[in-house]
Order: sequence, then structure tokens, then C-alpha cells
Amino acid sequence: MQKRLHKSRTTMLVAWAVVIAVGGLLVWVTQHNAQWYHEPIVRVTQVQTRSGTTVEDDFHNQDVQTKQILTGKILNGQYAGKTIVLNNVYSRSKAMDQRYRVGSQLFVTLHHHHGDLSGTVKDLKRDGPLVLMLWVVVGLLLLIMQFSGFMAFLSVALNGVLFLLAIFLNGSTQGARVLWIFGSLAIVFAALTLWLVLGATRQMLITLMTTLSGTALALLIALLVFHFTHEKGMYYEAMEYVTQLPRPLFLAETLLGSLGAVMDESTDIISSLFALKRERPELGAAQIFKSGRQIGSTIMGPLINVLFFIFVADTFPMGILYLRNGNSWGYTFAMNMSMGVVQSLISGIGIVLAVPLASFLASRLMTKKVTL
Amino acid sequence: MSTISVLGLVLLLLMALVGGKAGIQSFLALILNFGLLFLAMVLVAFQFPALTVTLVVGLLVLALTIFMSSGDDLSSTVAFIASAIVLVGLILVIVPVEHWAMAQGFGPEDSEDLEGLSVLVGVSFTQVAIATAILSTLGAIAEAAMAIAAGLGEILEQHPQVDTKSLLRDGIDVGKQIIGTTFNTLFFGFFGGFLALFIWFTGVHYSFGEILNDKVFVAEILMILFAMVSVILTVPITTWVMARAVTGQRRHQAAVTAKKDDQK
Repeated sequence: MQKRLHKSRTTMLVAWAVVIAVGGLLVWVTQHNAQWYHEPIVRVTQVQTRSGTTVEDDFHNQDVQTKQILTGKILNGQYAGKTIVLNNVYSRSKAMDQRYRVGSQLFVTLHHHHGDLSGTVKDLKRDGPLVLMLWVVVGLLLLIMQFSGFMAFLSVALNGVLFLLAIFLNGSTQGARVLWIFGSLAIVFAALTLWLVLGATRQMLITLMTTLSGTALALLIALLVFHFTHEKGMYYEAMEYVTQLPRPLFLAETLLGSLGAVMDESTDIISSLFALKRERPELGAAQIFKSGRQIGSTIMGPLINVLFFIFVADTFPMGILYLRNGNSWGYTFAMNMSMGVVQSLISGIGIVLAVPLASFLASRLMTKKVTL
Repeated sequence: MSTISVLGLVLLLLMALVGGKAGIQSFLALILNFGLLFLAMVLVAFQFPALTVTLVVGLLVLALTIFMSSGDDLSSTVAFIASAIVLVGLILVIVPVEHWAMAQGFGPEDSEDLEGLSVLVGVSFTQVAIATAILSTLGAIAEAAMAIAAGLGEILEQHPQVDTKSLLRDGIDVGKQIIGTTFNTLFFGFFGGFLALFIWFTGVHYSFGEILNDKVFVAEILMILFAMVSVILTVPITTWVMARAVTGQRRHQAAVTAKKDDQK
């Protein structure tokens, strides 16, 4: 026993060492992969900072703008190895600009003029932190959760691929059928994810039915409310990055956003009810329904919160900018947070509806004898 | 009446019908959380230090969410302590990565929304980006911590004498059960919000390399990854806090019994 424990500890240490080594290697690659890019990349080797100038805008916001003179080496393309001098201006708030450091890798546009090479900085190369964090997630999942972690990652990855395909499909139809595409996608998403988590079982079928009907009902209620309130206080123009008709896009966003949480809730309730029925087969449908309601009502609050923070925290930077630009609290809320709040409320309705739906469907459709 | 208030009333009604008093309490917690989030925004806009504001508001949000939606004392206390530890740990991850990625503020995709707004406002948007990432994961941390603590609480109820080592294993097992669905909640929650942005990328024909290094894209993906890391870390940390709490309780009980024996 003692020996086995010792052995498993050694295996764990080796596993951690391998994960950390692979992570280090991946990050090293992102620092030396300039050849993979067509755009010229410069690594900053020297930074000279000029003194800053204070600027003030119409709302008496003060900021300091500072000029940097960056010396760097071109890493790729036909001028690889050449040294170049670049200018950069950054502000204290850095909302739209950057303060670059020695070692920063930058995408630049090169200008060749009478034998002089000059350039302008476009943006920072950011694949390093992205790859690092992705590896941290995958590594931790595998180290702590092993097989279950792998399955969780697999289902997210598969959903990601489906999501990309749907976006390309949406693009090829000019966004005319966004709600149809993402509506059918939601069904595929839910079926695939639940199949991966639960396998093709009766439990999976009941959970799928709950998830789909809960999400659909919530959207239906939302549409009814929209109809009777004439969408008062909803500002579609406040949505970000909109390139197509905003209303169906908003509904598609809400549908996708709430799907995962409704699925989470239904899975929790129904698997607990199945376990309960396994332990106490004598329980009748009414008692099962009651327990389901009890389990569901303790988890619904925190779950609504999860989505609320995801939907609304995202508007934080723009909200602050609005407030600093002399806008009232009400206007800032309307133009930034109102759509997120509507989305949270609709998802909340879906999450709450999933409780009676899951309890009802499980209590009626569970067979008398539940097999493992 | 505005759409938001009618939808809010519908939600309140449903929560009251399904959850009774606890449902109304959860609804109240939601409203208070919104108030705290808005307060944080206003404070940061008034140039209070963003990180401090976020830490204080974050702890308040965790306490509100956890203590207002569950009754069991030991599990909620454990869930709160664990989620507070995760919050601090998360800050240690987010701060260096955000400084490295420099994905704060706004990108070229935002230029239409920024029309007419001054961006030189003297508030550090690096700090704001860190605050945003932390705030967006608060709900997920609280939910995961509560689920693990409640699962362990149930196991302790059924086997009160379970030893610390198997309790640690049980905690990871409970985590394995919730991780799949929790990841999907995060995935769909975030991707639902980014749908418009992704459609933008395909519409404007960004190259793969451009997307991978795009400020707005990296900022959004980092937010999902931070949330996922925090949920994974919540599992062992909540289990560990629960094990400590149980050991402490048992030692206390043993001391009390010993004292009683002495008095006899």
C-alpha cells in the first residue's frame, strides 16, 4: 500500500513536470514563430522615452501622452535581420495605445523610401499569452480531472468547431437566416454535449427534452414580453460589433448564451433524481417531482448569477468610458448594460423553467426500475 | 412599462413559484449583485483603484451569492472561504498575463462605438481589463464552490467518519461530475456574447493570424480561459478547505469529549 502510494506520487510528479515542460516549449515556439506570419514582425531591442505632455479633453479628464522611440530587429520577410527605428505614442490610460517594452514583438507596416527603411507599428503580437493560457487550462484539466477533464475539453472543442462552421454558414447566407442556423445548431450542440456526458441513455433523452423545451419556452416568453412592451428600453444600437440585422442576432446570442446554463441545471436535477430513484425505488412520481423542485431551487440562483456576470461584466470598460465622458448613469446603463441585462433575465427565465420541466419529465418518464 | 421591468417581474414570479422564499431570496441576491457591479463601475470611473474596488466588490458578491441561496452552514462557509482563496489566486494569474497580452481597452473593431468619445480619460484601462476579467468569473467561481461544498456535505452526512484522504478523493470525484456541464455553461455563455464579434471577423475576412493576435479577440478568449482556470482550481481548493474544516471540527469535538470525560 505504502509502496503503491509512493509510486502514484512519482507518476503525478512526472505528469506535472511533463505538462510544465510542454507549456514552456509551446510558449518558446510562439516567441520564435515569426516565419509563420506574412506581415513583418519586429522585436524591440531598445526603448527611449521622451518626456510626457499633459492633455485635457472637453470633460476635464487629464491624461499624459508620452513618446517612445523604439529600436528593433526585423524577424521575418525580405528585410529579416535589419534594424529599424519606430515611433510610438502611449497615454497613461492606454485605451487605444500601448507602452511597448524591450522584448515586445510588434506587427509593423514597412515603408521603403529611397533606400531608407521606415515603419509604423500596427499592433502587438499576442499569440504567446493566448497559447500559454490555453495550455494552462488543458494541463490543469488533465492533471486534476484526468479522463473527465479530457471529455470536458473534447466537448468544448467539438462545440467550438460546430460554432465556427455555423458562423461560416451564416456568412455565406449574408446573415439572413441567423436565427434558424443557430436555433438548429443549439439542438445539435445540446444533443452532442449530453451524449458525450451521459451516453445514449434514457437519462440523456430526458435531459435533452428539458434543455430544449426550457430554452425554447424562455425565448417564447421573451418574445411575448417584447410584443406587449413594444421593446421599450431596449437599445439594439447599443449592441457591439453588429454587421447584420440586430434583432435576430440578439435572439441568437441569447439562445446560445442560455443553452449551456439550462443544460447544466437539467443535468444536475435529472442525474440527482435518477440516483435517488436507484437508492429508493419505492418513491412515487409526486415525491420525485417534489425532490426535483427542491434540488433545482437551490442551484438556480447561482446559475443565473454565472450568466449575469458573463453578460454584464463585459460592458465594464465601455461603461467607464461613457461615465468619464460626462454621460449620466441612466444613459450609460441604457447604452451599455441594458441588452446584457435583458439577456440575463431571459436566460434566468429559462433556468427557472428547467426546474419544474426536469422534475416533471423525470418523474413521469423514468421507468419503475432504473438500471445502471 | 419597460421590457426589462416586465422580464424582471416574470423572473421574480417564476422564482417565487418554483423556489418559494428561497427563490425570492435568490432574486434579491441577483438585484444586489447588479447594484454592486454598477457601483464598482462608478467607483472605478471616479478613479478609485480598480483592483482594490474589484477585490472588495468581488468578496461581497461571493458572500451574497453563497449565503443568500443556500442554508447549510458548514458548506456555505467552506464555499465562501474557498471561493475567496480562488479569487485571490485568480488575480495572481490575471495580472501578469494581462500585462503581457496588453489586451486592454478597445480595438479597431470598436471605432464605430467610440465615435464622439474621448479615450484619453486618465483611467488605467489595463487595470480595468483586469477588473473585467475578474468580475466576469465571479458567478462561475461561486457556483462551482457551492456545488463541490454541497456534494461533500452530503457525503459527510452519509459517512460522518470518512477520513481526510478519501474526502480529498471524493472532492475531485464531485468535481469530475460537474466539470463537463460547467465548462459548457461557460462556453455557451461567453460564445453567445461573442457571436456578433465572430461574425464580424468572418465578414471582414481577417486572416487566421490576424484573428489570433487581435486585441479584442484575445481579450475575450482570455476571459473564457481565466474563467475555466478558476473553475478547475475551485475543485481542489474547496475540497482542501472542507477537509481542513472537518479536521478542525473533529479536533474540537474530541477536545470537548475529553473535557467532559475529565469532569466525570
